[in-house]
Amino acid sequence: MMSVSDLADRVALRWDGARPRTRLIFGAMFVILIGMVGLTPKSLFGLPLAWPYLGLIAAVGWGRSGIGFGPMVLLVLFGFAQDASQAPWGSHGLANLLTYGLAAMVTQMADTERSPLLSFVLPVVTLFVGITLVWLVASISSGHVVRVTPMLTAYFATLVVHMVIAPLFDLGIRRGSAGAISV
Amino acid sequence: MPRASGKGYRQRPLRRYGFFIAVAGLLALLLLQTSPRLNEGVEPIRTAASDQLFHVTRPSLIDRISGASAREREILELEARVRELAQYKALALTMAERLEVYEDILNMQGEPGGAEVTARIMAETNGPFAEALLANAGATNGVAEGYYAENDRGLVGRVVQVGNRSSRILKVTDFNSRVPVMGEASGLRAIMFGGRDNLGRLTDLPEQGEFLPNERILTSGEGGLFPRGVVVGYVRGKDGKEIRVDLAMLSGQLSYVRLKPTMTIDAPELDPVTAPPVELAEGEGP
Repeated sequence: MMSVSDLADRVALRWDGARPRTRLIFGAMFVILIGMVGLTPKSLFGLPLAWPYLGLIAAVGWGRSGIGFGPMVLLVLFGFAQDASQAPWGSHGLANLLTYGLAAMVTQMADTERSPLLSFVLPVVTLFVGITLVWLVASISSGHVVRVTPMLTAYFATLVVHMVIAPLFDLGIRRGSAGAISV
Repeated sequence: MPRASGKGYRQRPLRRYGFFIAVAGLLALLLLQTSPRLNEGVEPIRTAASDQLFHVTRPSLIDRISGASAREREILELEARVRELAQYKALALTMAERLEVYEDILNMQGEPGGAEVTARIMAETNGPFAEALLANAGATNGVAEGYYAENDRGLVGRVVQVGNRSSRILKVTDFNSRVPVMGEASGLRAIMFGGRDNLGRLTDLPEQGEFLPNERILTSGEGGLFPRGVVVGYVRGKDGKEIRVDLAMLSGQLSYVRLKPTMTIDAPELDPVTAPPVELAEGEGP
């Protein structure tokens, strides 16, 4: 009889051995799943729930492995799916892509692996930039300053969810390695 | 996990170019949407996507399996029907009020109100002699001979016999029943009598004009037996020279009927009424 810890170990082991492309597909499926749930009415006992920007979490996670075509295409597609509600086409994709680029740039510039503080600050800053981009595009396209409070709650929700599911968006490749950015 | 310097990254500028091209492309897309004309072209795409993604009434897979979607659809249809009927109800009330005002203006002697009784049908006679119903309301309930009976769809018949606690209703399907009717659209008058096949037949047809197919047949109110405008049925078609009528009451239930009074007009007095002479003003007259 396999215990829960054994099962968790086996899953972790498999995840460690998974190829970047597999990890990318798995992460994308997770984004789609959570995004689909996010399309349903989100309230708990009548209180509206803030829904995280999974696209931004994926952008930060995938951005740590450097720039790649696969993540870029997926992030743009996620952006279009998010835009389908009311946003101008390309606004979420732009935010996702710029967050992705920022995460890749910061990771390249600083050794976040060896600095726990930096590895903590990186998602805080990049996600904030991502949310700010969404807010900025929304404000420009609507012609007035969009309310900040919902964006802030969404930001904190995104940050909290990122802390829990960040490993799912680790492609397992590092800058300069042979298989890097081949996804 | 291997960890290397940024050398490999810098050796692959194509991806960075791709990144900047993608960003520029998205920016261009955003800017293009500031054009109202282009935005009009893009909106249908958004509408179609929204319909697919955010349709709250679209049933989920679980709902489809459990049958909940069919029930919900039925509920939605019924709610829509109720809303539609509520509009008709409001319209009918408005029209009734207006009709009352018009009749008041014209000093029209309308149909008498009150003294309506809902009765349960206790027995039904469909024998070869007469087609009649026995209702559990009689003289003690205020029912009198000459009352007409209606169900939820239309005219059922006329009270021909009244007891203390019961009354007999001659159905319009009876051969001896005679109902003065008119076509709702054509306005033509005729007399309807019953037949053996649960259909009404029109007689005393006008020489000019024809009843229209599927035209609604109403009571004309002539003769004072029935009020004007009670639904009788629909023109089915011609069978030779005979026009047959699908009776509306047969499509409804016959367990309960509403007994209503008709307008009775007293015959003129035998002694001529001497009206006071009207004095003509000076300069008037022949």
